[in-house]
Amino acid sequence: MHTSAHDDTPLLAVRGLHAGYGKIRILHGIDMAVRAGEIVALLGPNGAGKSTLMRALSGIIPRTGEVAFDGRLLRPGNPREAARAGLVHVIEGHRVFTQLSVLDNLMLAGYDLARAERGRRVEEALGYFPEIAEKRTDRAGALSGGQQQMLVVAQGLVKRPRLLILDEPSAGLSPVLVDRVLSVAARLREQGTAVVLVEQLVEKALALADRVYAMAQGGIVLQAPAGEPGLPQRLEAAYFGSQARAPLQS
Amino acid sequence: MFGSILSSGLAVGAIYALIGITYNTMYSTSRVMSFTAGQLGMLGGVLGSLFILKLGLPIFAGFLLTLAGCALVGFVTELVAVRPVLKSIEQHLYVLSTLALALMIQQVTAIQWGTEPQPFPRLFGIGSGVLDEKFWLPVAACAAVVLGLELLYRRTLVGRAFLAVAEDNFAARALGLPERHLRVFSYVLAGVIGGIAGFAAGELMLAFFANGPLLNFYGFVPVALGGLGNNRGAVLGGLALGVFQQLANFTVGGVFASIAVFVLFIVVLLAVPQGIFGSAAARRV
Amino acid sequence: MPTDTLTAVPRAGAGSGAPTRGAGLPVLPYLLIFLLACALPLAGDNYWTVIATRAAIYWVLVSGLNLIVGYGGQLAIGWVALLTLGAYTASVLAGGNVLPPVPPFAALAVAGACGGLFGLVVGLPALRLRTFYFAMATLGFATIVTQIALAWQDVTGGGIGLPGPALPAPFDSEVGLYYLCLAVAAACTLLSASVAASRFGRGLIAIRDAEVAAEACGISKARLLAAVFVFSGVFAGVAGGLFASLQTYITPEAFTFELSVLFFISILIGGRGSILGPLLGTLILTALPEFAAPLAAWSNFLYAAMLLVIVLTVPGGIAALLDFRGRRARDDDRRVLPDPSRLQRLLDRGESGRGIELQDVSLHFGGVKAIDGLDLAIAPGRIHGLIGPNGSGKTTTLNVISGYVTPQQGGVRQAGAPVPMGQPLACAGRGLARTFQTPRIVGDATVLQNVMMGGHVRAAGTFVESVFRLPRHRRDERALHQDAHDALAAVGLAGLAHLRADRLQHSELRFLEIARALMLHPAYLLLDEPAAGLSADEILRLGELVREISRRGTGVLLVEHHADLIFDICDHVTVLNLGRVLASGTPQEIRQHKEVVSAYLGA
Repeated sequence: MHTSAHDDTPLLAVRGLHAGYGKIRILHGIDMAVRAGEIVALLGPNGAGKSTLMRALSGIIPRTGEVAFDGRLLRPGNPREAARAGLVHVIEGHRVFTQLSVLDNLMLAGYDLARAERGRRVEEALGYFPEIAEKRTDRAGALSGGQQQMLVVAQGLVKRPRLLILDEPSAGLSPVLVDRVLSVAARLREQGTAVVLVEQLVEKALALADRVYAMAQGGIVLQAPAGEPGLPQRLEAAYFGSQARAPLQS
Repeated sequence: MFGSILSSGLAVGAIYALIGITYNTMYSTSRVMSFTAGQLGMLGGVLGSLFILKLGLPIFAGFLLTLAGCALVGFVTELVAVRPVLKSIEQHLYVLSTLALALMIQQVTAIQWGTEPQPFPRLFGIGSGVLDEKFWLPVAACAAVVLGLELLYRRTLVGRAFLAVAEDNFAARALGLPERHLRVFSYVLAGVIGGIAGFAAGELMLAFFANGPLLNFYGFVPVALGGLGNNRGAVLGGLALGVFQQLANFTVGGVFASIAVFVLFIVVLLAVPQGIFGSAAARRV
Repeated sequence: MPTDTLTAVPRAGAGSGAPTRGAGLPVLPYLLIFLLACALPLAGDNYWTVIATRAAIYWVLVSGLNLIVGYGGQLAIGWVALLTLGAYTASVLAGGNVLPPVPPFAALAVAGACGGLFGLVVGLPALRLRTFYFAMATLGFATIVTQIALAWQDVTGGGIGLPGPALPAPFDSEVGLYYLCLAVAAACTLLSASVAASRFGRGLIAIRDAEVAAEACGISKARLLAAVFVFSGVFAGVAGGLFASLQTYITPEAFTFELSVLFFISILIGGRGSILGPLLGTLILTALPEFAAPLAAWSNFLYAAMLLVIVLTVPGGIAALLDFRGRRARDDDRRVLPDPSRLQRLLDRGESGRGIELQDVSLHFGGVKAIDGLDLAIAPGRIHGLIGPNGSGKTTTLNVISGYVTPQQGGVRQAGAPVPMGQPLACAGRGLARTFQTPRIVGDATVLQNVMMGGHVRAAGTFVESVFRLPRHRRDERALHQDAHDALAAVGLAGLAHLRADRLQHSELRFLEIARALMLHPAYLLLDEPAAGLSADEILRLGELVREISRRGTGVLLVEHHADLIFDICDHVTVLNLGRVLASGTPQEIRQHKEVVSAYLGA
């Protein structure tokens, strides 16, 4: 693993990102930055473009603009390259491969690795989630929604990310499981891994994150440290429209 | 007579099942139904006869070369007829591109190989009568392929990657699985399966260019009945179709047999458009 | 669609302000071909006359098949079955080996009728089967017909075959037969072009490329395809009879799979949604073996290779290459400027009273409850906003009202009377129009043609009236043209009428869908996230447009994420969360409702 020479240059630097689906342009000129070992929350109402932004970052959908990871520019439309560099995206919807076992699902996350290394990393990932470790031979389709969510996060961990994107990990989960998943994010932070957390649950996100970005209508409308006073009110204004254009702050 | 119907029915049915599996293998990673499946079966017989009878190669070498040839055709299919149209929103284009390629293969074979059925070599010389080699060989080949695919899907990582891509192609891509390599590989694999089908069918169906469209249709029926992407359904459907067809041939004979099969096919398909074991179409709006 | 199948442009002076350009231009290529064809036998050599006769006969079949494949998008690859049927029917009847001999032209007519009947039989599975499956089924059918011809020796002569109908003088000579076939081909061109230029032609391409939207416009796939399969079957049957006369002696071997593929490829090389393209395609493919004499044995290979090349490089075929007008360079500085004054003629229903009411509607998909006990009302002349987080059931509600999904519980009433559920086709007739979350339009057709699809159910003329361009058809077309130009002007897309729809920007497509919806003169308009992807400026104009629409009496249901648009124009807002109504009231009340705010911010 190689560490960045300067602690203040961001791990992930995004400039002028535009993306969409076919003719529908969703993102209009996004700038953002994430430092190593910080948790950044991305908030915003539905349709704002949060998931689209994540997909554009990891390369699942095409984009224009610059995405630099660890000082190197990433080629657009190439999720494999991004993952190899350490930018790992856990997509929304806990989409596991239901016909395969838990173990197989994790093995596939390590598809490109040598067999011994793959086995090691799978065990390492299961170490974060003992609940599914004991179900390793069960079919992934037999797991509950919460367990499946843990499985997809574990898949992300198999890849030993330097920056992990978690897209709506709390969707459809009970509060206990949500805390469980978010606690893993906190543990990653302690180890120096950065996390970008797309979340609907504003309070939990603010409690965990170091910094917050808020999006609306395809652009970033708010940027602030998570602990800043008055933030919830500013977010509410951002969500509900015309007062959305709050001044950006760093 | 019953034994005769059963043995020839199972043999022919096994061939149809294998072509059905060929369709499924191509479909699983690309969501494309390719017209080349039947042509691969035809090539299995034609190339086998070419290498072993015409060029005098030993049987095993001829077999391997046949499979190599069919694998190449599978590879070319993906490259030329599938990959370019996957990007397009127009779904109907893959029907046309694979149809065009299948016709080209058929025409080249007709011109170079001839339009008359040519003999296929006797391979092992084991069995006679109802248990003649030409009857048990296709069944054995089908069993071997089914077993081989089970091992591939359950025991190897590549096989499991196939299953992943077949189930949720977006999640597989997001997870970093090499989607394109897997797709190419599955088309090559489909070529090999089609080649095995045609080679094992050689003694029964001879090396005949017109086997292409015939296998295209009768190999498709098990897929339609058994459900797209469902290999077990294809095997059951294929064997049932083969036995039913032979039964009809022996009892009413000729044209009526064909009509019977066709009517059955249409009736079942109209009643259950997604196949007996298939899954219903997704939400449209 | 390329300009040769121009929707019949009304006579100048209709006062619509619609440009009456080009009424003469598209006829020129056909006239040229026809004149050349008439002159052909004068070149002296009867060899080419025979080739040309064959081409004419093929075109008789292809002109009908073109509507099925090129316009309707149904891949009937095995259509040669009907040629076989027509040929044998005419020959058997004229030859008199079953019944007393029938005069050859009567035999030809019966062949046509049989073709029509069996065209329907071959085509009906298209309503249930997917593309590939239907293609396979037609191939199976073609094989069966050939096998029957082989086996039914008493009637068809089996493998030996039988003589084709002998036509009376002057048609018994090569030149005579040629002019007969040319006349039939010309007639078929006119008839099929009439269908293509009518609302039925537009309906076909709608079900081909935008089936879900076509349903919302009330276009019935079943009825349309049935009509077209019968129509094309008749052409194929007649072609078969003429083919038998040309060959003078037919055997099952004359009707090969390669022939069927030739018909099919002619259409695709020519281009879908065109008449001229497939005509040129047929001529080229029929003549090809003659020019490439040393390659004659490879001609089938060449057809297939041409098809592959076309599919990979120019999927639109020859027609796309010839379509200069539709491919005009885009002016990216276009702005959408609605003109609400043009709404006047379109919104004239004046429905008043109770509007649309949903009562206790519940719907679940598998284990998930999408809507749970929903009550909602859309009043005429008012805008009702429907908002809520993702997965709250907004689009499902819209789909229930427009008939795309059926609730397990509860019902919908319109003007006080209960409405049958799950019938999207019926909504258009009740004055209910909608747009879609992602614009569903036909990229290959022009903007005007796309909009005119919306008015399909407002026309009264039948299919046959369109075939023969009878007065009621012409009245319908004029009215639809007028409405379409009004609708385009109303939404602000007036100058783009003749542009291919796939050249429009996303925001313009959203307004295009609204124009299409306006063609119904809707009493109710259901809008599914119309502001998605629009700039702030465009959202303002959209809001004004929707307000003007509601002012003229149309009840509007607006499903949206853009809170500012909702609060700006809605008279009433309902908030859904997890399928249940969280709050319902005026925009001001909703904006201050504590639970709504938390639902959005996550409890």
